[in-house]
Amino acid sequence: MTSYRLPNRGRVDHARPVKFTVDGKSYQGLAGDTLASALLANGVHLMGRSFKYHRPRGVVSAGSDEPNALFGTRRGPGRFEPNTRATLQELRAGLEATSQNRWPSLAFDMGAINDNLGSLFSAGFYYKTFMWPRAFWDRVYEPVIRNAAGLGVSPTEHDADTYASRFAHTDVLIVGSGPAGLAAALAAGRAGASVMLVDENAEPGGTLLSEPSVVIDGKPAWDWLAQALAELAGLPNVTVMTRTTAIGYYHQNLVGLCQRLTDHLDTPPEGAPRERMWKVRAKEVVLAQGALEKPLVFDGNDRPGVILAGAAQTYLHRYGVKVGDRPAIVTAHDSAWYAAFDLAEAGAKPAVIVDVRASVDPALTDRARALGIETLTGRTVTGTSGRLRVKSLRVNRMENGKAGAPRDVACDAVLMCGGWTPCLHLFSHTQGKLAWNEAAQCYLPGTKTEAVQIAGAGRGLWGIAAALEDGAKAGALAAKDAGSEAEAPAFTVSADRIGSGVTLRELPTDRDPGKAKAFIDFQNDVTAKDIRLAVREGMRSIEHVKRYTTNGMATDQGKMSNVNGLMIAADALGKAPPQVGLTTFRPPYSPTTFGAFAGYHKDATFEVTRKTPIDPWAEANGAVFEPVALWRRAWYFPKPGEDMHAAVSRECRGARASVGIFDASTLGKIEVVGPDAVTFMERMYTNPWAKLGVGRCRYGLLLGEDGFIRDDGVIGRLAEDRFHVTTTTGGAARVLNMMEDYLQTEWPDLQVWLTSTTEQWATIALQGPNARLLLAPFVPDVDLSAEAFPHMAVIETTVAGFPARLFRVSFTGELGFEINVPARHGRALWETLFEAGKAYDITPYGTEAMHVMRAEKGYIIVGQDTDGTLTPDDANLNWAIGKAKPDFVGKRSLTRPDMVAKGRKQLVGLLTDDPKVVLEEGAQIVADPSQPRPMTMLGHVTSSYWSDALGRSIAMAVVVDGRDRDGETLHVPMPDGSIPAKVVKGTVFLDPENSRLSA
Amino acid sequence: MLLIHCPYCDETLPELEFAYAGEAHIARPADPSKLSDEEWRDFLFIRTNPKGVHFERWRHINGCGRFFNAVRETVGDKFLSTYEAGEPRPDVATLTGEAK
Amino acid sequence: MNAMTPTIAAGATVTELAPTTRIVLRLADPGGVGIALGVPLSERIGSRATNGARSALCLGPDEWLIEAPETEAATLGAMIADLAARTAISAVEVSDREITWRIEGPAVLELLAAGCPRNLAGMPVGEGARTIFDSVQIVLTREAEDRFHLTVWRSFAPHVRAILDLALRELASGL
Repeated sequence: MTSYRLPNRGRVDHARPVKFTVDGKSYQGLAGDTLASALLANGVHLMGRSFKYHRPRGVVSAGSDEPNALFGTRRGPGRFEPNTRATLQELRAGLEATSQNRWPSLAFDMGAINDNLGSLFSAGFYYKTFMWPRAFWDRVYEPVIRNAAGLGVSPTEHDADTYASRFAHTDVLIVGSGPAGLAAALAAGRAGASVMLVDENAEPGGTLLSEPSVVIDGKPAWDWLAQALAELAGLPNVTVMTRTTAIGYYHQNLVGLCQRLTDHLDTPPEGAPRERMWKVRAKEVVLAQGALEKPLVFDGNDRPGVILAGAAQTYLHRYGVKVGDRPAIVTAHDSAWYAAFDLAEAGAKPAVIVDVRASVDPALTDRARALGIETLTGRTVTGTSGRLRVKSLRVNRMENGKAGAPRDVACDAVLMCGGWTPCLHLFSHTQGKLAWNEAAQCYLPGTKTEAVQIAGAGRGLWGIAAALEDGAKAGALAAKDAGSEAEAPAFTVSADRIGSGVTLRELPTDRDPGKAKAFIDFQNDVTAKDIRLAVREGMRSIEHVKRYTTNGMATDQGKMSNVNGLMIAADALGKAPPQVGLTTFRPPYSPTTFGAFAGYHKDATFEVTRKTPIDPWAEANGAVFEPVALWRRAWYFPKPGEDMHAAVSRECRGARASVGIFDASTLGKIEVVGPDAVTFMERMYTNPWAKLGVGRCRYGLLLGEDGFIRDDGVIGRLAEDRFHVTTTTGGAARVLNMMEDYLQTEWPDLQVWLTSTTEQWATIALQGPNARLLLAPFVPDVDLSAEAFPHMAVIETTVAGFPARLFRVSFTGELGFEINVPARHGRALWETLFEAGKAYDITPYGTEAMHVMRAEKGYIIVGQDTDGTLTPDDANLNWAIGKAKPDFVGKRSLTRPDMVAKGRKQLVGLLTDDPKVVLEEGAQIVADPSQPRPMTMLGHVTSSYWSDALGRSIAMAVVVDGRDRDGETLHVPMPDGSIPAKVVKGTVFLDPENSRLSA
Repeated sequence: MLLIHCPYCDETLPELEFAYAGEAHIARPADPSKLSDEEWRDFLFIRTNPKGVHFERWRHINGCGRFFNAVRETVGDKFLSTYEAGEPRPDVATLTGEAK
Repeated sequence: MNAMTPTIAAGATVTELAPTTRIVLRLADPGGVGIALGVPLSERIGSRATNGARSALCLGPDEWLIEAPETEAATLGAMIADLAARTAISAVEVSDREITWRIEGPAVLELLAAGCPRNLAGMPVGEGARTIFDSVQIVLTREAEDRFHLTVWRSFAPHVRAILDLALRELASGL
C-alpha cells in the first residue's frame, strides 16, 4: 500500500514504528500517531459505516468532533471499548481495533442496501414506522432494525480496569491549551494564581500544532510553544493536564474533567486507573476551546476521502500525513486555502480550489497560481463519485443564483470547509445566553451566569495574534478576579493567517434536491432534505426538528451539524437564524465512559457496605448474607447439605427449643439525654413515657406528622434524664434527622440532646427458653430471675467482664435478652457466649429466622409490613398510643377524615387453605379470582413464611377493611393459578398468651 | 453541586455536606388540636413551590448538624442568602438588588 | 489487610490509631465549663482546644468532641458527672463508635481529595471539621501541614479504607 507519510514532517517519532491491527489486519504507524493518522498514513480513508444507511465513511475530522471513524478498541480480556474515536485514540503497541456497524466486512456491507432504500428511512422514520403493528415491536423492530441501525456493540465482559476520581480547587481553570489558553495560563500563572490548564488532546498547543509557520515573539510557533510550556512547567502554581476533557460545566464554576491516563500507554503501570474524573471548583474559568470547522452540505459530502480542510492541515503538520496526493478543495472560508497551500508545499498536487464565494482575497488566488493550483470562485459543488474512496468532484458554475453546467474534477481526496463556529458547549451548560452575530453569521457567547471569561476563537476571534492577545487579557482578568495582581503579556506575531468566510445552507444543485444525499449530521445520517421534510411536516421549533430528524442527537452532540442544521431549518421556515435558535447543549461535552463516572464505585467498593463487629465471625462460620439498608447482615447459617429452607427451619427450632444467638448490632441507637428528655420523648413518640421507671423499657411507636408509621423500637430508661432509644436498622439515620429537626426548629427551648450510639455498641440477642441459664453465670451482679429482672427491664452492668447495657426483650416471643457491649468487645462476647452455649446446643440464627419468629408472634417490621401509608390503627397498634397525651407528632392527623374512613387497608393474618403453600410477598389479593381483568385489588401480602413451629405457612397482609373480613376467604392470583387464603383478624399465630415471653 | 454558606459555621462549603429539608417558615402549630381539618391539611401538605425566590431549609448534616434557612432563586438555582433557624425572612428586594 | 498495618505508598501512609476515650459533649452555654473538664471549650466551629493530652474539638454550636487517653477515662468521667450534677448537659461516650487513622505524607491532600470535596488546603493546622469522604460522614483534624486524623464510624471504616487504598495504589502508580 502506498505510504502517505511525509518524512521529516509532523510531531510523530519517525524512528519509533508502532504495530497495530484493524479487523485483524496488521498495520504500522509511528509513536505519536492517532489511530486515524496512522490509517491515513497507510492510505486508508474508509473507517466506518454510517448508522442508518450503512454508507461507507471516512475520517472527517482530527478531533473529538469525529462522527465517522469509530472503532471498537481492545486491550485483552475485559478491556474493550466501543465507539472509540480514531481521532483521539493514540497509537500504542498492539492496539486491536475493529470496525463497527458492518457485516460481513467494512468494504462489503450487506446493510448498505439501506442506502438504496433511503426513501423509506426519511426524517421521522422511527415515529412513522414503529407505530404498527404492535406485535412487530418484539419480533422485528427491536431485534432486526435496532441491530441493523446502530454503532458499536456493548462490552459483555467485566471491565478489568479501575477508575479514579478527585476533587480539586483552583483559582483559575483554563479549558483549551491553544494560543488563547496558553496566553491565559501565562498571564494568570505569572501573577501567582493557582492555575489548571487542561486540554483534551495528547499534546498542548491546539492550533499552533497545525500552523507551524506562524512566528511568535520572533520564534517559529513550535519553538515558542516549547518555551511557553517550559515556563508553565517551571511555575509551581500551574498544572497542565493533557488528555483531559472538560465534559460538563456546572453551578458555581464546578467543572467535570475526564482525564484519560492509560489508553495511550503500551504497558500501563501497576495500579494505574484507566481514567480519572476531576471535580474542579474554580474561582474563575477561562474557556479557550476554539472553534469547530463545519462541513459543506452537498450531495456525496460523506464519501470516504472527503475531509474537513482544517483536519487535513492537522494531519499534515502534526502527524506528517498527507490525506491525498491530488486533493480537491471546496470552501466557504479562507482557511482551507492555506490547507491547500501547505499540502502543495509538502508535495501533494491539489487538483482545484473551489470557493463558493464570488470573489476572494487576491493574495490567495495569487498564491494558488504560484503553486500551480487551479482556482474556481463563485462555484457550487453538486456531487462526488467513487465507491469506497472519492474519485471525482462535480463542480458547477453559478448562473443567476442557480447551478449551471457541471464539470468533473478527478481527485483522491476532497478538503471541505463550511466555515467555523465557536465551540459553545461548555458555555451553554451554564445556561449562559448565546447571541447571534450577524456579521460572522454565528452564535457567540452572550450573557454570562458564572465567573467565566471566553477567549479567542471561542468568541469569534480569528488568527493566532488575536487569540494570544485575547487569551492574555482573559487570563489576567481571571487572575485579578481570583485575587492576584496580574498583567496581560503582549505578543508579537507575524505570518499569521487571518481570514474570513461565509455561512451557508446546503449548496445549490442542478440535480433533483430530493435525491441528493447532502449530509448534515454524519453520525445520525441526517441530510438537508430531512430537515426540510421535518419543517414541511409541521415541525416549527428547532427542538422538534432536532428530535424528528435526530439531527445533533448522536454521540458527537452535534458538534459539526448544529449550525448547518439551524441554517437549513431557518431557511425552510423562512425565518432568520436567531429567530429559530440553537438546540440545547448538555453535558457531557463528548462521550464519557461509565467507568469514569463510577470512579472507585466498582466491585467491592460499588457502594458502602457496613459491617458489624461480629460480621467476621459470621463470615468465618459460613453465613449467607443479605443487604439491609447499607449493612450486610447474616441471613442464615447453612450447615453442609442444607438449603435456605432447611437452615431457617433448623435455626427457628433451635431458638424455640433451647437458645439462639443473633447479631442485632445494626439496630439504630440514639441516646436522648438532658433534663427535658422525657418531655421530648412524650412529644416524639405516640406512647406515654413520664411514668416509665428507670430500669424499664417500652415499645415505642414513631409517626410522621401525617399520622403514618415511620419507625418503632424498644426504648429503655437508663436514668431520669437518659433514654436508650432503638430504631429499625434502616431507619436509624432518618429517625435521628427527624428528631433533630423537631428539636432544633420546633422546640429549641428544650434542654435535651441526641447522640447516635448505633456503633458504640455491639448488640447480641440471646433468645429461647435456656437464654437465662446460659447468660446468668456471666452476669454476676444482677439477679436475672423473672421476678427481679422481668420482661422489658434494662440495667447497666457487666457481662463476661465487659461493661454492658443488658435488656430483657424479645422479638421472637421467647425468653430473651439483648446485651450491648462496647463495639470492640462484641466479637469476644459473642465467642464467649457461643462456647458456653454449646452446652445448650446454641444455634446462631440469621435475619430470616428472626423474621419468621417475629411473624409467628405477629410483630410487624416497619418498612415491610408498613409502607408509609399505614396508621397505628391500620397496623393494630392503637394500644401503643398514649390516649391521655395532649399532643405528639402525628396525633392531629389520626382524626383527619381520610384516616378514620371505612375502606382503609388494615393489617391482618392470612392462612392459605393449603397449609403447605407459602404465599409470595408482594402478591396481590382479590375477592373473586374469576372477575374480569383488570381485577379489583384489595391489598397485598406483606410477610409470608413457612412456620416450622406451626407446621404450616403463615402470612400477613394489608387488606381493605381487613378486620371486618375475619374468616373470609380471599384469593391470591398467581401466574399458575389462584391461591385461596382465609383472613384472620389477629396476627399472633404462636403463644398468644405470651407464656414463653415472660418465663 | 452548589456551594452553600452555613450560617453557623460561617463557611461556604460543598453541597455534599448538606441536605435539603423542605420549605422554610412553616411552624408547627402550638396546639394542633385547635386546627380544623382544612387548616391541618394545609400545614401538612400545601407548599408554595414558586418559580423564583424560595425560602427553604437545609441541614448541614455532614458538618455542624444544624438546620438553617436559605433563600434560593429556583430558576437560576442560586442562593441569595442563608440565615439561622428562627431568624425572620430577609427582605427579598434587598437580596436581589431591586431595592433603592 | 491487618487494620493496624500502615499502608505505605508514594507520598502517604495510613495508620490506625489505638483507641482513645471520646465523649460527645452537648450543652447550650460553654462559659466556664472548660475549667470543670480540664480542657477549654472553644466556641468557633472547627477550632480545637487542648490541654496536655486532652482536647475538645468544636463540631457544632453546642457540640464538642472531647478526647483523652484511656488512662484519663476515669478522671474525665468523674469530672463530667460532677458537671452534670450542676449543669444541663449531655455527655455520651462514643469511644467505640468510631476509629481514627493517621494519614500523613507529602501527598496527603491528594489522597484525601479522592473522596473529600472540601478544600482541605485551607484547613489550619490544629483545627478540624465534620465533613464527608465518598458519601461517608467523617471527622478530619489537621495535626500538621502533612498530617491529618480521619475519624469514621466503625462500620463505614472498611469502605473508606478500601477507597483510600485504591487511591494509594493510584498515587503509587505515578499517574
